[in-house]
Amino acid sequence: MKSVLLRGATVALFLGALAYPALAEDAADTIKIGVVAAESGAFVSAGHTLPAGVSLAVKEINDEGGVKVGDKTYKLELLKRDDRTDISTAIAATQELVRDEKVAAIFGSETHDFTLAMAKITQPAKVLHFAGNSTLAKVLTDSSVASGGEDHYLFQTEPQEFQRSGSTARGVLKLLEPLVGHPLKKSVLIVGNDATGQFLSSYYLAALKSEGQEVPDIIFYPPDTTDFSPFLTRAKSLKPDVVHFWYNGDSTLTALPQALELGVAPSYFLFGVDPGIWKEQGLSADVPVAMSCVPVCWGESSNPKAKAYFDAYFAAGAPKGVTSSVSLLYYDYVHFLAEAWEKAGSLDPDKTVEALKTLHHKGVVSDDLAFNATHQVTHATEVCAAAPGGDITCAMQEPPADAPKQ
Amino acid sequence: MPVSNSFRSLLPVLLLLVLLALVPLLSPSNRFLSLAISAGINVIALYGLSVLFGQTGILSMGHAALVGIGAYTAAILARDFNIGFWLSIPLAGIMAAIVAALIGIPSLRVSGHHFVIMTFAFGQLLSIILTNGGDYTGAASGLDVQQPVSLFGLSIDVLTHYYLMVVFFVALSAIASWAIINSRYGRTLRAIRENEKLAASLGINVGRHKIGAFIVSGVFAGASGVLLAYFLRHISPSQFSSFPSIYLALMVMIGGARLLLGPLAGGILVAFLPELLNLDPVQSRILYGVCLIAVILLLPNGLIAGIIAGWHRIFDRRPAQPSEPAVEREGK
Repeated sequence: MKSVLLRGATVALFLGALAYPALAEDAADTIKIGVVAAESGAFVSAGHTLPAGVSLAVKEINDEGGVKVGDKTYKLELLKRDDRTDISTAIAATQELVRDEKVAAIFGSETHDFTLAMAKITQPAKVLHFAGNSTLAKVLTDSSVASGGEDHYLFQTEPQEFQRSGSTARGVLKLLEPLVGHPLKKSVLIVGNDATGQFLSSYYLAALKSEGQEVPDIIFYPPDTTDFSPFLTRAKSLKPDVVHFWYNGDSTLTALPQALELGVAPSYFLFGVDPGIWKEQGLSADVPVAMSCVPVCWGESSNPKAKAYFDAYFAAGAPKGVTSSVSLLYYDYVHFLAEAWEKAGSLDPDKTVEALKTLHHKGVVSDDLAFNATHQVTHATEVCAAAPGGDITCAMQEPPADAPKQ
Repeated sequence: MPVSNSFRSLLPVLLLLVLLALVPLLSPSNRFLSLAISAGINVIALYGLSVLFGQTGILSMGHAALVGIGAYTAAILARDFNIGFWLSIPLAGIMAAIVAALIGIPSLRVSGHHFVIMTFAFGQLLSIILTNGGDYTGAASGLDVQQPVSLFGLSIDVLTHYYLMVVFFVALSAIASWAIINSRYGRTLRAIRENEKLAASLGINVGRHKIGAFIVSGVFAGASGVLLAYFLRHISPSQFSSFPSIYLALMVMIGGARLLLGPLAGGILVAFLPELLNLDPVQSRILYGVCLIAVILLLPNGLIAGIIAGWHRIFDRRPAQPSEPAVEREGK
């Protein structure tokens, strides 16, 4: 019995030692902000862009002297946490940042499910929470974002999906039609069957229809698919003018060569594939291929501020990836938040929310970034098209004012 | 003194859990508490899996799906019937048990690898059903759980309180598992595990008892699902697909399925090893793979049984214990 107790006590002491929190430094002149993102695991492709974009913004703000709130100037301290693409780790990281580190704001995650679970921690604690998931529209309502509402401190840094889908559909068709050489009438969607895919495709379908497209089918594929031939064969049988691959850039790059080999359609659209990747990987096609970026492309852009941003972003060590541009869904909003704190003259979360809702911020993505009444932004999306010869043309496409009638 | 002998196998688990319940006195970080809660919720499910795998010799690769049944039952009961946490625990346990029976009846007509494949397929199937379940299951986005958890007016939503509650449920699961192991039913299951044909020749209805074990494991999984749903406050299909089931099987195999300390050790190790060693998911999977191979080759009854055997070899100068020392003694 004695030895059992002794062994038990040893284990408890060991666990206790692990659990003991680090001593907090005096942080009176710093504002802590946190990032929770998949820096490893299945979603690393998009995940690593979050801390990279936020880090760059924090460095720029600190290099310029910090954030002046009232008569005091604060430096920003960034705390990055890898969620390992695991919801338990994401929740533990959020608990740590909110309750132990007492951050003023959290950015992330790139995963819809994780963000919703994280918001259950950030919102009761009055921590400002920014996430680039257009799927947040499901929870951001007039009542939920009202003062005292359950998502009062949650902000969506990606346009509403009808806007993003609307500008993308319009831009894709506008760029592809002259390259194909005849009117584009029929579209088929091939979509990853997960939360994001289901959500996005419903809006994109409506957007295509509002552009006059006949869409005979949406073909869903399991998220980890590598052999797309059954889905592509089905698509080919529908004789489409355009096959639209939504939404995962990595899967899309796997599917496209198979589609080209099968000759599925006279043109394609790849959602979330940057022309930079197209060029870096030496991709080519004998038919026109449109691409879109979330929200601005790094490989080829018509946005004048994008080049300077991406030069600084990659110079800071961030890798060039399919979804590097996702970093802009976070970078701009660190500057936006800093401006809101300065305008509010206070770090009080309620006053900051009010400031965020009234500000118009000049960012990289747009000169007029602003949150609407339900805490969502509006801005254009960049769409590019690679001609069979290899020339790439890009254009910023403004979003529609209203959602298409379903 | 068979009772005191059998209780000796439960005592270290209870002592360890008492010590774990005292951890909040050390002011642990919230990150630690959060990970510990996740680990504890897994351990509850693992006690169910240990009845199935450790006692009956049936390995399921669809256990996370039964956890999912419990979690979705809790979320739907809260949303549609305003039924809270405490009533959800037994109802979700019953629902998971019913689903386990429905899956078990056809699946347990086969055995060995075929059963593993069928349970794996069940995990995938559930994920597909939940993903395509429309508004009822929240489709791929999943469901929110809004109801608060309280006990006698005390809010359990505070992380420390939730941690203590999970420790309590782990203790209940360990006691339930111990009671099964040391019952006549447990001995019957072990007889089936050791030799199905011999058990059948003794008049044991092998098929019925195997389905029974699957149902029992479902009750544990269902309760664990409720705790998970109320902890995360948001659940989605990807959390209950086949991959999490593989992790649960891995935990129970590494910790050891036949001893009461095994699920506890497996759950804690797999939850905290990446944290302690700062491993990314790829490195973690490599480490788990190596651990699994090492356990299978060197410690076929799991880490805890191996440690006990090693302890006796070094300190007691006694010959190495046979597999499952405590359980075998208890079973006699």
